[in-house]
Amino acid sequence: MNRYFYIDAEGKQKGTFTPMELREEGVRRDTLVWTQGMEQWQRAEKVDELGFLFSGTYNPPQPEPPRSTWSQPDQTYAFGQEPHVQPTKPRTWLLESILVTLVPFFLCGSFLSLLGIIGIIYAAQVESFYNRGDYQASAESSRSAGRWTRIALWIAIAWVALMIIIFVTIALLFGFSLYEVNDLIDI
Amino acid sequence: MSCEYVQSEVVTIRVGRGAKIGLGIAIAIVAVGVLFVFYTLDPGEQPIFPRCPFLLLTGYECPGCGSQRAIHSLLHFDFKAAFRSNALMVPAIPYILVGIYLQYFGGSRRHPKVEKILYGRWSALTVLVLVFAFWIGRNLF
Repeated sequence: MNRYFYIDAEGKQKGTFTPMELREEGVRRDTLVWTQGMEQWQRAEKVDELGFLFSGTYNPPQPEPPRSTWSQPDQTYAFGQEPHVQPTKPRTWLLESILVTLVPFFLCGSFLSLLGIIGIIYAAQVESFYNRGDYQASAESSRSAGRWTRIALWIAIAWVALMIIIFVTIALLFGFSLYEVNDLIDI
Repeated sequence: MSCEYVQSEVVTIRVGRGAKIGLGIAIAIVAVGVLFVFYTLDPGEQPIFPRCPFLLLTGYECPGCGSQRAIHSLLHFDFKAAFRSNALMVPAIPYILVGIYLQYFGGSRRHPKVEKILYGRWSALTVLVLVFAFWIGRNLF
């Protein structure tokens, strides 16, 4: 059973929930949902696994107070009424992606910076789409920016750890003052 | 806010306050150790520092080549030598430190305007252009 994100009435991304939990969250037919493997956000009624939520026998419950501590009750509007609230801007990841591009240069990890650059390009789109009013594309760019930035970050951490391990190993084996190691490496 | 929380919720592991402090101390110890090594040993002479894979493969310098020599020179207050080693990464150091402050030490909350100027959309693209210009330029001239 897949776990889903959905976009609430205020445009905030929430998740993850199982289909049963989505029901309790008060997800409607036109609520945008996303789960792993989906190309983009889709209306909940278009997703096969969620079809049972909207089958004739089932009536959407009144919004309950959320059980989890971190989701806020947002469903203050009447059922079926379109919310006209501007969604909050998704996280841009600009700062993170810039850092993850620049820092690896100091550690001979220029190849990692390429991942960071992909992150920056997505991150720069988040605000552009948002200002244009394309909130869905904005959320999408935010997700991609976050994904690439995090991939770069984790590889960078592994890279730094590897560098330190190699450095310490060589230092222990040969000592710091052995210049003949140069001949061994021969670069 | 909740948006940020949700996204980090999925992938990263939620750490408690104690774990955060422990992680901070560990990173600080590693950072001090690395700085000490960069201070005492000259990456230009010592063979045990990591080499740039890009330089080894292509024979061209990457935008980061020379940054370790630059750190060594900076720690000895030799700014001229630092700029000669890597003119891009020297100004990048204070920029990165500001970024780390904004991201991990609550700077974003206290100075949202600074973040918007230094780490906004246009600064991001400027960083990209600078990196690529420096990359091409240093191999041409």
